Amino acid sequence: MKKYIVLILALAFPVSGMCENEITLAYAGDTNMVSDYSNSDATTPSRTGNSTHLLVAQVGSEAATSDGDEDLPFLDDDDETLEVWDPIEPFNRGMFWFNDKLYFYLLKPIARGYRWIAPEPFRVAIGNVFSNLATPVRVINAGLQGKFGDAGNELVRFGTNSTLGILGMFDPSKEHFGIAKTDEDTGQTLGHYGVGPGPYLVLPFIGPSSARDGLGLFADSYMDLTYYIWENSDYWYAVAYRAINKLSLDKDTYEGIKKDALDPYLFVRDAWTQYRQNLVKN
Amino acid sequence: MLKRYFMLLTVGLSLAFAPVVYSAESSAMDAVRTTVEAIIGILKTDGMDKEARRSAMETEIDKRFDFRAMSQSTLATNWRSATDAEKKEFTGLFKQLIQNSYIGKLEAYTNETVAYPAEKVKGKKAVVETMIKTASADIPVNYKLYNKDGDWRVYDVIIEGVSLISNYRSSYQTIVKDEGFDGLMAKMKEKIKELKTADAS
Repeated sequence: MKKYIVLILALAFPVSGMCENEITLAYAGDTNMVSDYSNSDATTPSRTGNSTHLLVAQVGSEAATSDGDEDLPFLDDDDETLEVWDPIEPFNRGMFWFNDKLYFYLLKPIARGYRWIAPEPFRVAIGNVFSNLATPVRVINAGLQGKFGDAGNELVRFGTNSTLGILGMFDPSKEHFGIAKTDEDTGQTLGHYGVGPGPYLVLPFIGPSSARDGLGLFADSYMDLTYYIWENSDYWYAVAYRAINKLSLDKDTYEGIKKDALDPYLFVRDAWTQYRQNLVKN
Repeated sequence: MLKRYFMLLTVGLSLAFAPVVYSAESSAMDAVRTTVEAIIGILKTDGMDKEARRSAMETEIDKRFDFRAMSQSTLATNWRSATDAEKKEFTGLFKQLIQNSYIGKLEAYTNETVAYPAEKVKGKKAVVETMIKTASADIPVNYKLYNKDGDWRVYDVIIEGVSLISNYRSSYQTIVKDEGFDGLMAKMKEKIKELKTADAS
């Protein structure tokens, strides 16, 4: 769920190198546009009539915002609601609850401690090493989907990053050669060939998944070099370390979801499903 | 003949002045960029107290995000069966929810950079693609906008393929199915209260 960092940054709109913008000070004095809506009891005062919204819109930059009073017909076309098949929802919710406790009582404290000891660049480098070791997952699956260009790129990335990037710690192939990682896994390959996700599953430790993607993860683990480098019990320590390291780079994504969503379980389920759909498509 | 000449003159002059009235950004990408830069400016301004900063950011966001459109899209079929008063109330609550959720996070800005790789415009709709570069990843964030009389307004944000509105839509639809529209709004009010007290502490 690292991708949820973006929810945090989504409205951040940062732009590098922008110097102080004088215009902003002018806004501090504007009447608070939220005031119309801040009383949830009061019905909103009527806005200017529909016919005049043409001019209300945007003369200059200080125009009052008008969200309008009319329904927009084109939005009705965008309406398909994502239907997630969740036949074992009570079980999934239970597992979600379990993962929640696991996170707050075990994983997060460990990740926090680790974060305190190890500086971020180090943790980013470790993350890169593991990501590099997972290259075969991407190469094989891209190849299986006929994406030979991507498969080739991943091989090049592996070669470059393992050597120039010192065992995968750095990513010169992205920074200097512009070859970014393409995300492929067995779940996506199955999806590519028409296998639907199947029932939504919340897996212990791993979190949101599905029948198809769970199987995919299982297959992926045999393609990941981590499995071959660390043997037997060491393998599980490596996996745990990999997870904690990844978690330490996360910026309270799950906390954010819990705080904002009316129903975190539903939010995670639907977002994750959409995310996977999109990965399969591309 | 003279009458016609004057008429043409009037039309010609009014066309010449028309751009002044509809002086908004002509490109969707410019619209997004303007808002981004304004918000960054606010975030980087020293000596602004929390309330003023929040209020300034809300103003900027209001200008670009059309909360009513987002509400309509989120509720989908439930919107069509809602009364006007309910629509207004929902829009108000939704706006507060989104603002309370995200403005706090904006304040955690740490100099990430944003690129604007592309913009696709089709008639009155546009998609502006941006890329947020963080230490550990590049995150594609796309904005869907529609042109409202010369002004581009955002009605959805798509992060790594996940549409925010679609996400809310799924959750909210389930809640409406289980607890009715009033149940949904009650939950929203509760959540807003929670968020406000969390912020105050």
